[in-house]
Amino acid sequence: MGRMDVLDGGLFTTVQDAGRFGFRKYGVPVSGVMDNSAFELVNSLVGNSPDTPVLEMTLKGGRYRFESDSVIAFAGANMNPTVNGKSVELNSTLKISAGDILEFEYASRGCRCYLGIRGVWEIEKILGSYSTYNEGNFGGIEGRNLQKGDQLHWKEIQADFQSYTLSQKEIPYYSSKLTVEFIPGPEWNWLSKKEQDKFLSTEFKISSESNRMGIRLNSDFQIEAKSKEMVSSGVIPGIIQLPPNGSPILLMKDGQTVGGYPRIGKVLDIHLNRVAQVPPNGTIRFKKSD
Amino acid sequence: MALGLLHLNGISWSVFRLGETAWLLQPKVSEKILEHVHSTSDLLEQSKIDGLQDIIPAYDSITLIYDSQFKYDPDMLSDISSSTEQHLSREKNIFEINVCYELGIDWNEVEVKTGLSKEEVISIHSTQNYTLAMMGFMPGFIFLDGLDQRIAVSRKEKLRIKVPSGSVGIGGNQTGIYSLESPGGWQIIGRTTESFFDVKKTPPTELKAGDKIRFKPISKEEFDKMVAKNG
Repeated sequence: MGRMDVLDGGLFTTVQDAGRFGFRKYGVPVSGVMDNSAFELVNSLVGNSPDTPVLEMTLKGGRYRFESDSVIAFAGANMNPTVNGKSVELNSTLKISAGDILEFEYASRGCRCYLGIRGVWEIEKILGSYSTYNEGNFGGIEGRNLQKGDQLHWKEIQADFQSYTLSQKEIPYYSSKLTVEFIPGPEWNWLSKKEQDKFLSTEFKISSESNRMGIRLNSDFQIEAKSKEMVSSGVIPGIIQLPPNGSPILLMKDGQTVGGYPRIGKVLDIHLNRVAQVPPNGTIRFKKSD
Repeated sequence: MALGLLHLNGISWSVFRLGETAWLLQPKVSEKILEHVHSTSDLLEQSKIDGLQDIIPAYDSITLIYDSQFKYDPDMLSDISSSTEQHLSREKNIFEINVCYELGIDWNEVEVKTGLSKEEVISIHSTQNYTLAMMGFMPGFIFLDGLDQRIAVSRKEKLRIKVPSGSVGIGGNQTGIYSLESPGGWQIIGRTTESFFDVKKTPPTELKAGDKIRFKPISKEEFDKMVAKNG
C-alpha cells in the first residue's frame, strides 16, 4: 500500500478526475480537472490509467510527506516544487522515497498544478467520479479541500513502465495575457453589432473572485438595457454568460447545469485548458471561431 | 442564430449550437412547452443514442451533450429525428410530499408581500398540483411549475448563506425545494421530512422532470416524529 500524508493542504487543493458525466439533469455539475491537458500528462508520466484522479492545486500547493517509495509527477503551473528542500523538475517522472517531503510554493507561472501518483487511488467514487464538488460537499476527500492530517492511500502497480521527461518544446507556455476562440452562443445575436464589436475588442481582466465554478471578467464593456427576459436553460463549461451588469462569467467545471443569463458564446475546450492557467489579474480577449 | 429546424416527437424544434459537442433544442410551439420538453427528453433518453452523455431538460429547452470523442456531423440531428420518430405518452408519477409549514422562516415577509395570512398562503400552496419543471442551480434543487400567482413573492434582497436541506420556498412565480443545504435567495415557507437526493445512490433521486408533486401540510409534532423515525 502506498500512502501520503498531508502536512499542509495549500491554498485550494482538491482531488479531481476527468469529471462526473450523466447526472446533469439532476443538477449535478460535471466537475473534474480545470486543465485537462496537464491532467492527462501527469497520469501518462506515472503510467496510470487515464481515469486515475490527481490533486489539483490552485495558486499555491501544499506540503506532503510520502510514507512509501512512490512514483510521482507534476504538470501545469510552476509552483517551484522541492523534495527535501531540493528543486525538482515539472513534466517528468520522479521516483521518491518513504520519508521524503514534497513542497510547493506560490505559482510563478500558470495557476493550477497537478500532482499525479502512480497507483490505484483508494477513494470512494460518487456518481461515477472521484472529483470533488465543494459546493455540494461531495466527491474526493469528504467533498472538501485537502487539509493537514488528511491521508491518501493507493494500491501499488507492479507492472513495468517507461519513465520520461517532456522535451522543452512540448512544454506549454502559460501566458497571463490570453486570446481564446469561441463559438457564438444561442444568444450572441441579442447583442447589437456595436456591442458585438466592442466585446471582441475588449481586454477583460480576471477577477480574484473567480473559482472552479466560473471565471469572472471585468472591463468597461457595457450592454444597453435589454427588455428580453430569459428563462433558465442548459449551460456547460466554457459558456460565456452575460449578466445585465455587462461583466461576463466564463463557466468552468463546477458551474451550474442551467443558467438564466444570455449565453453569448462557448470557449473552445482546448482554449479552456489555457484559461484554467491564467491567474487572477491576468487578461482574456475573445476571438470568434470560424 | 439557429442552425436549422428539426422535426422530433411530433413538433418542430429550433436547433442551436451550444459547444463543440453540445446542442440546444427549443420547441417551436406556444402551448404545453414543458410537456413537449419532458416527453421528448424521455424519448431521447430511451433511444440510447450513441455518445449522448447528458440531456438537460429546462423550461423551454433541451440541452444535448455528447462525449468529447464525438465528431461533429451535420447529419446528426436528422439521425436523431429518424431514430426517435414516435410519439410518447408518458406515465406520470405523482408524489405527495409532507411539508411542515410551521418551520418556514420567512412568513413575515411572505404575509406582507402577498397581503394574505399564513393560513391562506398554506391553503393555496398545498391545494395545487405542480409539475417538476427541472432540476438545477444546485444538485437536486427542484423547480416546480404551477404556483398560484396570488402567492408569488419576490426573492429575498440578501442571499441567505445557508438554507437547510428540505426547505420549501417561493422565488418569484416559482416554488421549489432545496434538496441539499446550500445558499439561496428564495422565501422559505416550510420544510419537508423527505430526503430526495442522495449522492451515494445512483441515480441520486427517484424524481425526474415531468413528475407531478402535491404538498401535504403536517404539524411540527408529525414532522418531529417522521424525522425521528427516519433516523
